[in-house]
Amino acid sequence: MPGKVFRAAVIGLGRMGSTFDDEITRGGQFFMPYCHGPTYVASPHTDLVAGADPHAEQGEIFADRWGLERGQIYADYREMLEAERPDFVSLCTTARHRAAIMIDAINAGVKAIWAEKPFTLSLAEADEVLELGTRKGVAIAVNCSRRYNVFFNQARRMVDEGELGEILQITAYTQCNLSHNGSHAIDAMRYLVGGDVEWVFGEMESDEKAAGEEDLMGNGYLAFDNGARGFIRGTHTGAAPWEFDLIGTEGRVRNLAQGMETQYYRWVPGGLRNQGLPARAPFPLPTHIPSSGLSVIEDLVDCIETGRQPRCSGQDGRKALEIAIAMRESHRQGGRRVDLPLADRSLRILSSEILSDAVPARVRRMQSK
Amino acid sequence: MYRAAVIGLGRMGSTFDDEIQQGGTIFLPYCHAPSYVASPHTELVAGADLHAEQGAIFAERWGLSAQHIYSSYRDMLAAERPDFVSICTTARHRAAIMKDAIEAGVKAIWAEKPITLSLAEADDVIDLGARNGVAIAVNCSRRYSPFLSEARRMAQQGELGELLQITAYTECYISHNGSHAIDTMRYLVDGDVNWVFGEMESDEEAAGDEDLRGNGYLAFDNGVRGYIRAMSTGTAPWEFDLIGTEGRVRSLANGTDTQYYRWVPGGLRDEGLPARAPFPLPLSIQGTGLSVIADLVNAVETGSDPHCSAEDGRKALEIAIALRESHRRGGRRVDLPVDDRSLRILSVEIGGDTVPARVRRLRQEPVVA
Amino acid sequence: MPARTYRAAVIGLGRMGSTFDDEIRQGGQFFMPYCHAPTYVAAPQTELVAGADPHAEQGAIFAERWGLEERQIYADYREMLEAERPDFVSMCTTARLRASIMIDAINAGVKAIWAEKPFTLSLDEADEVIELAARKGVAIAVNCSRRYNVFFTEARRMVDEGELGEILQITAYTRCTLSANGSHAIDTMRYLAGGDVEWVFGEMESDEKAAGDEDLMGNGYMAFDNGVRGFLRGTPTGAAQWEFDLIGTEGRVRSLAQGMETQYYRWVPGGPRGRNLPARAPFPLPTTIPSMGPAVIEDLVQCIDTGAPPRCSDQDGRKALEIAIAMRESHRQGGCRIDLPLPDRSLRLLSSETANDSVPARIRRLSGQ
Repeated sequence: MPGKVFRAAVIGLGRMGSTFDDEITRGGQFFMPYCHGPTYVASPHTDLVAGADPHAEQGEIFADRWGLERGQIYADYREMLEAERPDFVSLCTTARHRAAIMIDAINAGVKAIWAEKPFTLSLAEADEVLELGTRKGVAIAVNCSRRYNVFFNQARRMVDEGELGEILQITAYTQCNLSHNGSHAIDAMRYLVGGDVEWVFGEMESDEKAAGEEDLMGNGYLAFDNGARGFIRGTHTGAAPWEFDLIGTEGRVRNLAQGMETQYYRWVPGGLRNQGLPARAPFPLPTHIPSSGLSVIEDLVDCIETGRQPRCSGQDGRKALEIAIAMRESHRQGGRRVDLPLADRSLRILSSEILSDAVPARVRRMQSK
Repeated sequence: MYRAAVIGLGRMGSTFDDEIQQGGTIFLPYCHAPSYVASPHTELVAGADLHAEQGAIFAERWGLSAQHIYSSYRDMLAAERPDFVSICTTARHRAAIMKDAIEAGVKAIWAEKPITLSLAEADDVIDLGARNGVAIAVNCSRRYSPFLSEARRMAQQGELGELLQITAYTECYISHNGSHAIDTMRYLVDGDVNWVFGEMESDEEAAGDEDLRGNGYLAFDNGVRGYIRAMSTGTAPWEFDLIGTEGRVRSLANGTDTQYYRWVPGGLRDEGLPARAPFPLPLSIQGTGLSVIADLVNAVETGSDPHCSAEDGRKALEIAIALRESHRRGGRRVDLPVDDRSLRILSVEIGGDTVPARVRRLRQEPVVA
Repeated sequence: MPARTYRAAVIGLGRMGSTFDDEIRQGGQFFMPYCHAPTYVAAPQTELVAGADPHAEQGAIFAERWGLEERQIYADYREMLEAERPDFVSMCTTARLRASIMIDAINAGVKAIWAEKPFTLSLDEADEVIELAARKGVAIAVNCSRRYNVFFTEARRMVDEGELGEILQITAYTRCTLSANGSHAIDTMRYLAGGDVEWVFGEMESDEKAAGDEDLMGNGYMAFDNGVRGFLRGTPTGAAQWEFDLIGTEGRVRSLAQGMETQYYRWVPGGPRGRNLPARAPFPLPTTIPSMGPAVIEDLVQCIDTGAPPRCSDQDGRKALEIAIAMRESHRQGGCRIDLPLPDRSLRLLSSETANDSVPARIRRLSGQ
């Protein structure tokens, strides 16, 4: 049983802050509770004490759903930070304001931030938040949720323990905008490979898109510092929806169909010239399957206590953004390889979620019906 | 070149291959006339059928002139002196036609299944064939499948270890297509059945001589145990599962998929795990019918038994009859051989056989299997 | 967090009572905590208050491991029942004494019993325990653990909701003696088939074994009241390790390699004649994966509250035993079908675990027995 119970608050009381889990009827990619409100309620480490959102109706729905008093809901997150002094704060607003809110939260003295992705819009914003967070000793976890998914954790354990041999290739088929869900895809590639990207090549969906700052689809080739090579297809993927394929000299793990199936291959004798054949073995599950959200909280509590970085840290969030931007730069430069880190920190991608973000997504969904 | 004739100029004699759109169980040419036409060993010289229209269609399709089509197969045998004769009529007359063909001096018979209706008929044909040195192949085509032949090779060469179990899910009437299913079980385990237990679809069906569905448990002389489900099989259509101590081969979905499992390290307590390895394909795959003809040519020239001999055909029938006997006796195990040779099953294909199946199909009368 | 309202005690402080979970390194078949003491410690509804074992050293190890005082450990379970008045009691002794201990526990006023399998040795004993428990309103769960495993509960949900269509066949390859682990295999077949067994046919490993009362291996055919047919291979299974294959008209679920892999098949268009093909789809996991021991506790708590039978009830335990005995009777009677229920209630199977049970299994393992 846990010792200290931390005070937790959510900023941005919409889908990720509150109701996302209602959409999910099957396990595999997520195990419940996953999103912020329900996780704080379920975790033995946290009490949900407050929420903040400029839209009053969002606040009312949130309060009813999670059993908060009206006095615990704030229109202004700054007032909330000051009045409630939360230990944990979740950033579930549009990405447009994420950097500013993180800076305010750090300055208000929070111990841990659980931020939705993408981490920020520009590299300069990311740099500023990370510098401040480090200086103030705040643990920042970015919700690239595959780092808290049991199948990906097992695959990474197999990498770390050498069960897949030397890692050669990571291929991702992930139809997405490169900042928005691309941050999931790129981060999962980095996580599985266990290395960092030195340079990239990218092709965007069009020259026009590549010239602008709006979020966009594209494909890329990634050179990792440990010798692994990556290919990401973020343009249409047809019959290969959200798939990761991790190939090593001794074994291979494929995660298919948005995480609903995971395959493991290893060598057996045989083959055209008896040089061996990859055979599909049962994927090794751990003896206990944790919920995704609760794993994030466990991780952040441990970071507060030990000072280490979260499994998906602010740095990881920045790297996903930087890789996406570098892929676009590659296209902009007529198809050249681009080295990381990027020198121009003013570069940014306007994550697709910030379109029309003056109105809550819930209201937009209702209006479009 | 051997002179070949077909008796019974309908579906199996002539047009069956037109129905097949995908390989797996069957590779084309498969049925009799197209195989004789394609084989380098044979020349198609004649056909016989009571129904004139069947003969006309056959002549046109396979380029025979009208005088080589006979309404009496006896006239055909006397006039054409074929070396090979195919028996593609209803099973009702198969035994009588085979005896006439043997006595007319043919070298080889390629008979459709089931070999006969009664055990006594089968005994008769086999005895006469042996005395006259005629090679008889029963078209239990899975013995000529490249996948199942490979599975049997693996079993014989010890690659699957000691064989333990053969399971068949094969919805069928136990004489008609059951002859395929039972023969394939015997073929894969390379053993003979000592005794059986059977449950038929109903007491009424079990009491009669009509073809029927049922399930059975088979005890082989080499220690293997078999289970066949010939009642409805739902989502497991035509499947064979051969299990040994070291490996396992599964033929699924009517032969369209073949799986091979062998041990790799791992497991709950590290006791090993069966992993799926690619199935080893042979170096070449030829039409199933061509394999039958090559096999019969070899039998004619060397005196060896065909891969699927008349003896195999009789055993499949005897096992089916024993399964029914088990039910008739209130559910008791029945030892083989079956003493009462008058026992028979009226293969389902003989229902309505006064009219060619093609004509029945045109009239949209129901035709079974 | 619910109050820890129920006092729980364990009788038999060995492997299943205390240390089994230490052996398991991968999930799939078990999700931890699984065995009795760690479950009572982890479950929010129970408090582990006592243990009983005639072997002092077993008690000492148990007390230290699970944080109990010396006075909470009893040599005589009757004294423990009287002194501690537990609400929950676990039966983890050798099966030899299980019936008499259950009777004593019921008479001592416990609310719920969580019993290891097999339920009892004889049908008489099972009848007596069930009658008494019903009279006193005690909920008894038998630890046929697959009823509390998420892959099996999901398969059963698919059956109940019609996703597999009409269920036709359940096949189990489960090397086991029929009472000890056969109780798992048989119970799982009943659970998945969603019906009850009307009659069986069985073949035991030898006539000598079938003639005695010792636990033994064997194969069987089962006829269920809902039309499903079952085949169980309990003799050695080679490369098919603890496997269940559930076949319906619309779908199929296979649990392979001791539960480490679960496959789901459903129809897609295609096939040699365009009559559709069974295709493998991702198995639908639920959104949370419960630990198995706590799932038993939750079930039993609900039974106490509502009077409903547990998911794996004492009746289920008796049926598994009765089916095993009927299979042996079939062999004893020369191979014939045996109807259930069995009239002779004195029949029994001396579960293989009762051999050498005068010495704790831990000591036997240490002394290399």
